[in-house]
Amino acid sequence: MRYAMAIDIDRCTGCDACAVACKVENNLPNDIWWNRILTIGGKTANSPKGTFPNLQMQFLPMNCQHCENPPCVKACPVGATYKREDGIVIQDYDKCIGCRYCMVACPYSGVRQFNWKKPEYAIGMAMGDAAVTPHQSDVVEKCNLCIHRVDQGLKPACIETCPNRARIFGDIDDPNSEVSQAIKGRSYVKILEEKGTKPSIFYLT
Amino acid sequence: MNQNTDKQVYSKPLFIICALLAVVGLVCWVMQLTKGLQMTNLNTYNTWGLYIIGFMIFTGIAAGSLLFSSSAFLFNSMAEYKPYAAIATIVGVICSVATAGLFIMVDMGNPLRAWRFIAGANVSSPMFWDFLIIILYLIIGIIFVSTLMKVAKGQKDSKSMYGISLAAFIAGLLVTITSFVFALQVARPLWNNPVQPISFLAAAIVAALALQIILFSALNKSGAMPMSSDKLAKLGKIAGIFLFVELLVVIGEAIVGMYSGSGEEAPIIYWLVAGEGAVYFWVEFIAIIAGLVLLFKKTDTSVTGAGVALFAIFMIKYNLLQAQLSNPLLIYPGSPAYSSNAYFPSLIEIGLFIGIISFGVVLALIAVQKISLGTKTNVGVNSNQSHGNIGVEAKA
Ligand code: SF4
Ligand code: SF4
Repeated sequence: MRYAMAIDIDRCTGCDACAVACKVENNLPNDIWWNRILTIGGKTANSPKGTFPNLQMQFLPMNCQHCENPPCVKACPVGATYKREDGIVIQDYDKCIGCRYCMVACPYSGVRQFNWKKPEYAIGMAMGDAAVTPHQSDVVEKCNLCIHRVDQGLKPACIETCPNRARIFGDIDDPNSEVSQAIKGRSYVKILEEKGTKPSIFYLT
Repeated sequence: MNQNTDKQVYSKPLFIICALLAVVGLVCWVMQLTKGLQMTNLNTYNTWGLYIIGFMIFTGIAAGSLLFSSSAFLFNSMAEYKPYAAIATIVGVICSVATAGLFIMVDMGNPLRAWRFIAGANVSSPMFWDFLIIILYLIIGIIFVSTLMKVAKGQKDSKSMYGISLAAFIAGLLVTITSFVFALQVARPLWNNPVQPISFLAAAIVAALALQIILFSALNKSGAMPMSSDKLAKLGKIAGIFLFVELLVVIGEAIVGMYSGSGEEAPIIYWLVAGEGAVYFWVEFIAIIAGLVLLFKKTDTSVTGAGVALFAIFMIKYNLLQAQLSNPLLIYPGSPAYSSNAYFPSLIEIGLFIGIISFGVVLALIAVQKISLGTKTNVGVNSNQSHGNIGVEAKA
């Protein structure tokens, strides 16, 4: 049993729906984004590289890669971040001392974010699922694959939301799971695989 | 022993200024604790800054001071420094560990959870190893000083210094392990190489000796503990040799990074040498060169040289951190936007940095005062006892 995600980058249009779904579902504080859509192209987001008509642009949805060999888990001095049996790497806010060593250790710069102040929210009431763990000041947080949903047999919010069905989720150890089927016969890349992290996100190309 | 040291340290201007600065630091900490780490100029990318630099420098000073004090009892060529070992250890090891510990505390988002270092220890974390080493420094420093005291009072045989000196020396070498916090991170190509442990060791020795030079020049001036300019200059030369090692590391990294022009390290080095970090890099470079010139100069300028060398080490650590943190592996644009700006600390960070160091100086001044009185009343000033005398009559 190991949860994994496939992201079909040919299907991704960079619409940011999954990023917003994640933000709402997990009631993320202002400035915190567990799921971001990076642009491979120009110098700013959503801009291509090259000159017309030879332009190139590609989107790279980026959230925690739920590494099988996670450097963040090795680094955390107090065990506040750890890997569950099912492969999901989670963050225990109550244990986090806020040293930010995990942010230094994670090669996927930016997936781990720190609450530099008491969490503030865009609207005056909590959003998303009530089962989400409340956010805390001065701790690190990141994508947890919506464990509150996964543990109930549901899929993470980003998977459900993607209008282009670019994100596929499931148990990679089960050959019949949606994610295994999606990967089958496709070529894929794993980001920064050479770092030995064994990420669980397959980018289908 | 002259009049100066008989006077209470508490009424000296240096003490009063440092105590006030320490209070300012405390106020900064309270503000940071109530408003969160948003009071710093740290961010998702530059997630570590001035506090970690302070931590690196003071763990280095502690390690280097252990090496210095213990080598007086291990090597004949250093035996002339025996009379200075006690004070060097108290200031260089015990006060430095306190300072380094404070730097870690203020860097933490949740210092009240610091007890988890023990309760929730993750043994695979290099930061946990650091924690153990810091405690080890403190314990060894205390045993070293108390053994010295006992030897000086004649309660222990002078041979008993050998064992603890050997332990202190090995502990000092362990500063290489503190570099593992950085060197073991696959996410950070600039740090992830075997030169870091060597560089950390060299930096530790330079910083420690620089501090000792400043300390002993001051003690010499006040007449509390004379140290000849020869002895000071010799420390300066040793510091200079290790500063030269740092120069080689800096030049080596720059050449290796720039030669191929591509790869993971190249953009970091370009950023540092000719990009957003260039000002900081060239300040560092000039400081190293100036430190070397001053430390190796014939005339008696070792205090200035020591000060410049300390500053050079500060810049080395500063750039080690920001060059890598400002240039992570994934820099594609997105939200929040990545920016490759250089890091400059906020006023709160600067206030805390100065405050913590001032607190360290306050501790050191009190310790020096206690020791001076102690040597006068209990231990006596007779240095004919040779080994282990912490007394004050080193033949200057
Ligand atoms: S992507 Fe980063 S935060 Fe996520 S498991 Fe890997 S190292 Fe940890
Ligand atoms: S910031 Fe929290 S989770 Fe990250 S390494 Fe430190 S204690 Fe662990």
